Amino acid sequence: MFNYRILAVIKRELMEKLFSKAFITMTLLVPGLIFLMLGIQAFLYSSEKKNLRIDIITESNELTNSFLNDFIKSEYSKSGKYVFSFQTMNRDELKKYLEGKKKELIDEKLGGIVFVPTSALNDKKVEYYSKSSQNISLFKDLDGLINKTLIDQYFHNKTLSKEELDFARLGVDFTGFKVSEDEGIKEEGYGNLVLAYLFTFLLYISLLMIGQMTMQSVIEEKNNRIVEVVLSSVSPTELMTGKILGATLTGIIQMAIWLSPVILLMSTTIFVLPKELLFSININVIIYMLINFLIGLLTFIGLFAMLGAIFDNPQDASSGTLPVMMLIIIPFFIALSMMEDPNKPIAEIASLFPFASIIVMPARMTLVGVPTLHLILAVVINILTFIAIFPIAGKIYRIGILRTGKKPKWSEVFKWLRYKY
Amino acid sequence: MYSLEVKNLTKTFGKITAVDNANFEVPEGSIFGLIGRNGAGKTTTIRMMMGIYLPDNGEVVLKGAKIGPEFKSRVGYLPEERGLYKKMKVIDTLYYFAEIKGKRKNEVHKKVDEYLKRFELYDRRLSKVEDLSKGNQQKVQFIATILHDPDFIILDEPFSGLDPVNTNLLKDIILEMKQKGKVIIFSTHLMDFAEKLCDHIAMIDHGKIILKGSLKEIKQKYSQKNVSLTYNGDVSFLNHHPIIDKVENFGNTTGIRLKEANQTQELLKLLLDNNVIVKKFDANDISLQEIFIELAGKDEDNFKKEVANV
Repeated sequence: MFNYRILAVIKRELMEKLFSKAFITMTLLVPGLIFLMLGIQAFLYSSEKKNLRIDIITESNELTNSFLNDFIKSEYSKSGKYVFSFQTMNRDELKKYLEGKKKELIDEKLGGIVFVPTSALNDKKVEYYSKSSQNISLFKDLDGLINKTLIDQYFHNKTLSKEELDFARLGVDFTGFKVSEDEGIKEEGYGNLVLAYLFTFLLYISLLMIGQMTMQSVIEEKNNRIVEVVLSSVSPTELMTGKILGATLTGIIQMAIWLSPVILLMSTTIFVLPKELLFSININVIIYMLINFLIGLLTFIGLFAMLGAIFDNPQDASSGTLPVMMLIIIPFFIALSMMEDPNKPIAEIASLFPFASIIVMPARMTLVGVPTLHLILAVVINILTFIAIFPIAGKIYRIGILRTGKKPKWSEVFKWLRYKY
Repeated sequence: MYSLEVKNLTKTFGKITAVDNANFEVPEGSIFGLIGRNGAGKTTTIRMMMGIYLPDNGEVVLKGAKIGPEFKSRVGYLPEERGLYKKMKVIDTLYYFAEIKGKRKNEVHKKVDEYLKRFELYDRRLSKVEDLSKGNQQKVQFIATILHDPDFIILDEPFSGLDPVNTNLLKDIILEMKQKGKVIIFSTHLMDFAEKLCDHIAMIDHGKIILKGSLKEIKQKYSQKNVSLTYNGDVSFLNHHPIIDKVENFGNTTGIRLKEANQTQELLKLLLDNNVIVKKFDANDISLQEIFIELAGKDEDNFKKEVANV
């Protein structure tokens, strides 16, 4: 199947694509963007407002003192995230106090005022005054602290052992465990979820980009009338094969570059990820993803080359590519929707479905354990799809490539399949 | 001895028969012209000879054997619709076209330099094709066609879109190749070029070969009873004269067909008697254009307009 002609075409395609500005920019830009996004997240995480002033006001000195004792010991106070000050006053005095502090609150010099009325010892209802009345992260931070102090106060004069008190004080703590067939049960952070998003985006971007590039290059050959010169030396099948293989290699190189940071993070301990972002995947996932991607590229690039051959110019092509684009876009959204529940039936179906599995399967196997049978099945289905698609795409390519003039209707394109060329 | 034979070639596109059972033979060492008007089936025939189209029927035979894919590397082909990769450098383009013909860089390296120098492109060899003028791009195309030293050169409407300088350049290349013993096949609707360059021709009309053979023999056969005339004055009196079969005005020359071959002297006398100043009187001469019109004359007027416009 390989001969010097195909090799020459592969070489040219590879050179043309690898050294094109679009390829270099995208290939370098995407990991850059990923690191930038991770960096921004880390930066936001570390640069949350410090020394946020919060006034804690209760109606009794006793309550104020016990808040004072508990809050000073809390890690928020120690880390300097919040600066608490404590006062005792009743509701009427609070109104005047709020009037006086209004300007500070609006200017955000004072982060907020928490009022714990004595009635809170019965109903645990506290009030929060601030420029923005809903501050979820602050509520989350203070919830436990206030609850603990209130519990202490409530049970203060009641005969309860320390153990009983400690239990009552405890909040509920969720720890995520991943259950999979081969690795046993493991604790993990958000890392795999981030990775699943990453894989989905990278596959999506690469398929679209390399596919479009191939289509443009076929259109260019057709549009510039190079194709007939080339066809006097190579057969249309050789040209198409060379183009597809050249573009596929380009895609694999691109993906390898994109995945190298992930592989680096997996294989070394030089880079320390925050605990929340730690991920645990096997290198096999990466290898599987690349194999699956390779087959997917071959199929999609074949389809894009076919589209390029049907149309004379990029304008006509842009509307005609929609059916093929959908085969990439729909799985992309399925993969995204799968993130919250990777065990959805649609995720399982899509991870085996021709075309869709290329994008959906890597994300799925990053999130949950996928039976080996499914993994093999997905690859077999993809190979069969490729085998079924290639002769059809090839035939349309062979006929379309030498046609010029009016944009053909799809019905005409189907008729080409019966032509003898 | 024929180097290439086209046997019963047929090609249909849907309901249209583009080439209908075409047969012709290309002798060795000749310049062969495939002649016909636009849409006659020339390009389809050539594409089948190049293996770009699969014929519905028939075959192309090279020295007794049906041609296969390897034939392509022995041919230099210049299609009517031609182009180059715009973003590629001149020199890379030439190497690429040689490479797909099976010639490695170091095999053609010297020749590339030679041709680039000869065609005054050597200092542009590192430029991108898109930065070259159209004329220079055509030169690059010529070099790419002959760089791999093909045995056959097939040119489809080679002179369309060429400026006069490149037209001459291409003519030189064709004659040079002929001297080297290569077979040159070209298609054209310009009878003038065909007449000047070809040894053998095949005339195609509506997909059918209507005439083929050595140009000399064809002309001999058709030139009897024919006079080619250049004159000053009025010859309209000839139109209904009893010895005249037909008068065709071709601008510079007029073709006159007599009813009998032995009436040429009578015609000359007639012209002189009518005070026509005869500048050139060529008995038994006929232009290819006249032959073509005679054979494929159904849409004669359209064709004349077409030819006149070229």
